[in-house]
Amino acid sequence: MSVFLSSLGFGLITAAVLALATVGFTMQFAVTNVLNLAYGSVMINSAFVTYFLNVHTRLNAWVALGGGVATGAIVSYLINRFIFTPFQRRNLPPITIVMVALGVDLCGTFGLQAIVGGSYFSFRQSPGRLWHFWGMYFSTLQLTIIGIAVVVLALVHWLLKYTRLGKAMRATSANMNLARNSGVRTQMVISTTWIISGALCGLAGTVFAMDTGVFDATSAQLYIVLLLAAMFLGGPGEPYGAMLGAVTIGVATEVSAGFINPQYKEVIAFVVLIGMLMFRPYGIFGKEKTL
Amino acid sequence: MSGDLSTPGQILRATGLSAGYDGRAIVHDVSIEATPGKVVSIVGPNGSGKSTLLKSLVGVVPVLGGTVNVGDADITNMTPERVATLGVGYVPQIDDVFPPLTVKENLDIGGYLLPRHEVGARIEAVLEFFPRLKTMMSRRAGKLSGGERKMLAMGRVLMLRPSVLVLDEPTANLAPLVATQLLEEYIRGFAEKGSTVLLVEQRAKAALRVSDWTCVLGGGRVVLEGPPSDLENNPIFVESFLGGGAPRR
Repeated sequence: MSVFLSSLGFGLITAAVLALATVGFTMQFAVTNVLNLAYGSVMINSAFVTYFLNVHTRLNAWVALGGGVATGAIVSYLINRFIFTPFQRRNLPPITIVMVALGVDLCGTFGLQAIVGGSYFSFRQSPGRLWHFWGMYFSTLQLTIIGIAVVVLALVHWLLKYTRLGKAMRATSANMNLARNSGVRTQMVISTTWIISGALCGLAGTVFAMDTGVFDATSAQLYIVLLLAAMFLGGPGEPYGAMLGAVTIGVATEVSAGFINPQYKEVIAFVVLIGMLMFRPYGIFGKEKTL
Repeated sequence: MSGDLSTPGQILRATGLSAGYDGRAIVHDVSIEATPGKVVSIVGPNGSGKSTLLKSLVGVVPVLGGTVNVGDADITNMTPERVATLGVGYVPQIDDVFPPLTVKENLDIGGYLLPRHEVGARIEAVLEFFPRLKTMMSRRAGKLSGGERKMLAMGRVLMLRPSVLVLDEPTANLAPLVATQLLEEYIRGFAEKGSTVLLVEQRAKAALRVSDWTCVLGGGRVVLEGPPSDLENNPIFVESFLGGGAPRR
């Protein structure tokens, strides 16, 4: 029981980070139909910008986090603007865009490795004191990450549900031509979506690296499997489904790690991903690609 | 009634219009004019280019030749979002609402170009026109019946107080009674209050009943046009569309 509870605690942390990442990932897919496999490399590049600001300019890690968020936003916008959009304009099949995204991912990851080398890095930041709740252990750092995730996801909900921009994003996702006929400048909406989802990517990458403690240029390479599993579990293009999917995958992988070799915990995500694709490819919430 | 919902109509004119996909014309050299206070309908067999013609007028399909004007403005190949700002409301035949959004959110998007403080009042005006929508404001559009959905689609375009309404088969898949009400009460009503209405309609008899002028499209070209009274006496039209011989519908 104690193994289960402590694993559940780890699962909640993983779920918090994964939820931040998956919501951004699924927003990009919903609004622009791009399955951005380069998401993981943008995450880790953003984490390294935060690391640079934290370690080399001696900024507080939480302040430096702003640099990681900005990097995610800017890099994601540029990738869409200068790489994905030109390919999409040629009306190429979706698999071509996926291959392009994979290429961008490899360039991003190994380009970073060429710069920073193969060493491991860690932030100049203390995890803080250890808290104990109902058999689960959390550091102050981990509780802060969970808090950030809850606040940011609540803000995403507010954005999508109650703001004019959020409704325009959902309308563009549902039917781009009709949104244009209603006067929505969909290109502006798409660019804004990439900036917001990129900011989520940068935030997720940085808190992922903070939670991991020690990271290198390739740390987020397998993360795309968790992202895909969480997205397909909740329903592609469904941000609320992505949140539920992230919690399920995060908890399932960490709890399983309490009972099997932790090196194989991503296998659980693979199993869920394959199961969902076989039996319910639109996920739990999704009926169609929507925001 | 629609005076509250729309602004005085403008002339919508296509001159020598050719349009299509991937550089291949489906509509050839079509000239058509819809004027304020009138309903102009387009009828024709499936595949005659009716929907393509409407889409090219509102910027969804590229114009390959000729011009499109609204009032004094040349809107040829203008983007759909800019066409909307000029007061042209377009209701497509299918995919005419945002299914995952609620009725209220669909109307909000319809009023996207309005100043924020005007949106609430506009929604109230639209709901007075379509009171049935009042009870379903929080329902997802994808859950509405065909008739409710079409009312929402019309309500969405009315949010911007359009001067020109372009409607692509608004009665498709509707029960006969609902279709008749939509055409004779609502759509005819818009024109009587001064709006310009251009309508594609499969049901030729119903189209003639509400129209002031009707064009018949065949193979992407206007093959016949005139006031309904003339067409009703035209043997070719009667044979093709009104069941006078072997109907082609």
